[in-house]
Amino acid sequence: MTSPGGAPGPFDPQGVVWQPVSTRLIRARLVSALPLVLVPAVLLALAAAASGVTGLWFVVAALALLTMWIVWVIPRQVHAYGYAERNDDLLIRRGVMFRSLVVVPYGRMQFVDVKAGPVDRWCDIAAVKLHTASVHTDAHIAGLAPAEAARLRDRLASRGEAQLAGL
Amino acid sequence: MNAQLGPIPSGTTAPGAPTPLGRPSAGPDGLVWRRVHPVTPLVKGWKAIAVMAAVIAQQAGDNLARGLDLVRGSGVLVLLGGLLAVVLLVTGLSWLSWRMTRYAIDAQAVHLRQGVIFRQQRQARLDRLQAVDIVQPIVARIFGLAELKLEVAGGADSAIKLAFLKESEANGLRNELLARAAGVVTAERGVDAPVPAPPPERHIVSVPLSRLIGSIVLTPSMLVVVLAAIAVPAGMIIAGDPGAIVLLPATLFSVVGVLWKEFNQGFNFQAAIAPDGIRLRHGLTEARSQTVPPGRIQAVRLRRRLLWRWADWWRVDVNVAGYGQKQGATETVLLPVGTRDEALLALWLVLPDLGVPDARAFLDAALNGSGSGSAAGFTTCPRRSRWLSPLAWRVQGVALTDRAAILRRGRFSRVVEFVPLERTQSVGISQGPVARGFGVATLTLHSTHGAIRPVVDHLAAADVADLANQVVNRSRAARATAAPEQWLSRVRAAGLPVAGPVGAAGGGS
Repeated sequence: MTSPGGAPGPFDPQGVVWQPVSTRLIRARLVSALPLVLVPAVLLALAAAASGVTGLWFVVAALALLTMWIVWVIPRQVHAYGYAERNDDLLIRRGVMFRSLVVVPYGRMQFVDVKAGPVDRWCDIAAVKLHTASVHTDAHIAGLAPAEAARLRDRLASRGEAQLAGL
Repeated sequence: MNAQLGPIPSGTTAPGAPTPLGRPSAGPDGLVWRRVHPVTPLVKGWKAIAVMAAVIAQQAGDNLARGLDLVRGSGVLVLLGGLLAVVLLVTGLSWLSWRMTRYAIDAQAVHLRQGVIFRQQRQARLDRLQAVDIVQPIVARIFGLAELKLEVAGGADSAIKLAFLKESEANGLRNELLARAAGVVTAERGVDAPVPAPPPERHIVSVPLSRLIGSIVLTPSMLVVVLAAIAVPAGMIIAGDPGAIVLLPATLFSVVGVLWKEFNQGFNFQAAIAPDGIRLRHGLTEARSQTVPPGRIQAVRLRRRLLWRWADWWRVDVNVAGYGQKQGATETVLLPVGTRDEALLALWLVLPDLGVPDARAFLDAALNGSGSGSAAGFTTCPRRSRWLSPLAWRVQGVALTDRAAILRRGRFSRVVEFVPLERTQSVGISQGPVARGFGVATLTLHSTHGAIRPVVDHLAAADVADLANQVVNRSRAARATAAPEQWLSRVRAAGLPVAGPVGAAGGGS
């Protein structure tokens, strides 16, 4: 039985050594997420100052709280992110409040994507996504150093080839 | 297990071998390109033609007076000329499109070329064939034509559609393609060669019309229809406002549409088994004959709707990689409605071996039972999860055998999902904050895109971890012994007769 407090539980299978993702992902995620909150907050604050409508300040306060929550939760999310390569499958674990773990056998892999957007490139990270024949397989590892992403891609591809099965 | 990776077994006719007879000869690429039936544009375009005729008729009716004026003047020439130009244009474009559509078949693949301005060449490997359908819309049936649809697992719109062919030609081609996909070698076929004899098939189950109608009557949608039909006029009389009647057709239209679709598709449903796969025939206006080769079904779901409980009727759906979800209920129904025995027969077609000693007792526990029922081996929700799913917590559960994962849920309308272990793609565990408070988690098996998404909520977290681990390990073992993609090549290698009755249906057994 797992303790609700959380330590081992189903998201920590025995004998699995988790690889963390790069902490540069924190910066990348903050840079992507914060403007979406801060820009409306600043605009609303200006509007509130100009119009003198007090109701708007509550919205600004709510956005400020949201900002603080984002700043608090993103580092935790990134630290909770992890993957592990076992002999026959890849494990990916993530989430703080909503936790998930996915086990993808190498032989089920159809193709691998490596992606890096402008913010990712600025932070020097890349994301690897494993695709199986199921669209529900959410095997996505964000925040890998480009060299590690390339290594993982090649490794996954070669392991997938060695264990290839049909559908 | 790597045997299937090798090249296609030799002995197949070389792709480049030209046919001595017949008018289409081998092109520079060594393929024999054939055209679809010349009536195709008419069958495809009859709707456009009908719409045009209707518009013209309406215009003519509206402007009869002015039309008469025009006839007197020189306008009639312009009118007729315009009409002629449109007809010529449409005919010309259809002819061009027909002329540009060509297909060819070699030992490894089906090739299709089409498109006038945007040319498309599509090639589908036969060993990746997921299903073959013969579709006959009503107009095509009048002309004795059929569309041959080859499904490969390439996401939406990945099918190769050969439309339209002569019915006999479509049947022959289907048999030939399936034989080739199965690894049974056939010689290159000339156009005048006789159509290959259809492999022997055994009828398994059919749906009588009365039961189909009964099953549709006993659906919640039908209840909505009936209630609306009673409530709206009643409300109208009480309120004394006849205006509400205009709402009735609008509200009922969509519901009736759904019910009609179900009737239309389930009409004359027949399931049979042949060495080249499961055959399904059904459809009232659009007749459809589907063949799903063994081992191509990724998951099976048995579902008993709320009102079917007393009749003990079940519907059987499947996930097949090529069909996807968009086409919805049309193609992924293995049995629209059947008794429990028939539903289990349909299940047996897909999963002949469940990996349990007493299959019937196990299945009864899956279909009827609740609680963990130690004999059946279902892992069900812990008592604490009754707060999260108060009705179904006793029912929700998972059982693992060496061959399949069986997921059971639904207190009143029961759903039982079977996933052959060698077909699971990946396994997921998830847990939200509330579930964590209760020490429960969700287990998900990822199957290919389709109606079935095997998932069980609110299992004890420790059980979920254990189950996920077991699914991963047993799937690996099951894959190692799974049948090859060319499902009959193994049978041939073992020196067994290929056209045996049902023997080949097992796939992985």
